[in-house]
Amino acid sequence: MDRIGWEIRDDIGIITINNPPENYLAKPDFVQLEILKKWTSYDYLRGLMITGTGKQFSGGGKLEHLFSMINAKEDISRKISDGKKVLDFLENLDIPVISAIQGICFGGGLEIALACHIRICSENALFAFPETNHGIMPGLGGTIRSQELIGFPMALKMILGGDMINAEDALEMKLVDFIVPKQKLHEYSFNFLLRLTKDRPLDVIHAVMKVLRNARTLSVKDAMKKETHLFCELALAEAHRRKSQE
Amino acid sequence: MKFTLTDTIGHLVLNQPPSNKMTLSFFAELNHLVQYIEKLKEIKGLVISGNGRHFSSGTDLPAILEVVEQNTIVDALGHPVIIPDFLLNNYLSLQILERLPFPVLSAIRGVCLGSAMELTLFSHFRFCSEDSVFGLPESTFNLIPGLGGISKVYHLSGKAKAMELVLKGKTFLASEALKFKLVDKILPKKELIQQSCIFIKSISSGYRKEKKKLYLKNFFNNHDTI
Repeated sequence: MDRIGWEIRDDIGIITINNPPENYLAKPDFVQLEILKKWTSYDYLRGLMITGTGKQFSGGGKLEHLFSMINAKEDISRKISDGKKVLDFLENLDIPVISAIQGICFGGGLEIALACHIRICSENALFAFPETNHGIMPGLGGTIRSQELIGFPMALKMILGGDMINAEDALEMKLVDFIVPKQKLHEYSFNFLLRLTKDRPLDVIHAVMKVLRNARTLSVKDAMKKETHLFCELALAEAHRRKSQE
Repeated sequence: MKFTLTDTIGHLVLNQPPSNKMTLSFFAELNHLVQYIEKLKEIKGLVISGNGRHFSSGTDLPAILEVVEQNTIVDALGHPVIIPDFLLNNYLSLQILERLPFPVLSAIRGVCLGSAMELTLFSHFRFCSEDSVFGLPESTFNLIPGLGGISKVYHLSGKAKAMELVLKGKTFLASEALKFKLVDKILPKKELIQQSCIFIKSISSGYRKEKKKLYLKNFFNNHDTI
């Protein structure tokens, strides 16, 4: 049953979707929120990487599974909202979260990737929201998150068209941030996260993540106010640190 | 700083060569000058540049740290409760600059780092020479850019790039800055100031000033919350 792997290497957490070959997701909440909270509660954690086992990232949820859940009168809307909570939690973490995407990244898999802060993919990666081909639509916030990255027209095309997008096109429309050779994907992604965070004190990492989040969610005025406050806090700490070294 | 007004175009020059470091008195002068420029009637555009080879290497960090340490009122846990006026005023200066009712352009040569880069991000256009070097190195000093730079980079270059530039704190070149949308145009060094002035003039002369004021005012009102 253990379909999600977890390990910590060099203070970086690695979540692996572990249901090969396609790494289908068993539920909308691909990992339970409580478990995810426990994993990320280590305060020395400097970053988080999400990837899939084997050749694929994730094919998303299985349709038959979804429909059988509906037939069994399970509370779908609660399941979906659990899934949303997990992705919101990932997106709002105060450490960088990146996804390393190889092979297929469809539906729910793409929703997970979109909730990450940075997306790195292999040259053979494929992206799609196939939901509308089956009479449903993406339900975990991907419709909103994709717009922020690729704009309204491309999001509309991708979601309503349901067609596949290769790595090159994904890079061009800014759905992903980097393409690397597939043999090097995990190494590159991990080292990218390491390089980004290893020389930075944790409070600087947290402050940068907070300010970036505020830039998206608050009015410009409030975001700036918070930024000045955080700067002041760090400057105070740095001034004290320099004093104590003298 | 030096301010001159020629033929309805204002020139604001960071004037402490060679590095044009942004000292405490620089920020005080900036605050004073933007308020003065805001009230000028006959001005139609503003070009900001650095005297000499560089735009500016950014703030005088030890001085800033001292001000923060001496003027912040903290609670029992050492968290700031009242932020020094100095920091708030600096941000207000940049905000006034951004909301001036005429186009503002930064013409950047040489290094443009930290707060200097934040200053340019608050102008409406950024033109630079091929040899310009940019960077937000604050995180390498255990700090973050404190004048709105993170938000500006976020909106121009996107979340992933902002995270990378701010957390890595590495410098980058003019060509990269253009790719990240942090500058609008790269020009030959010798023509930079002249071309910038021509550009500002060309967009300033087309409309009646009252109309333009109205347009810019609407623009900022509509874009205040994102």
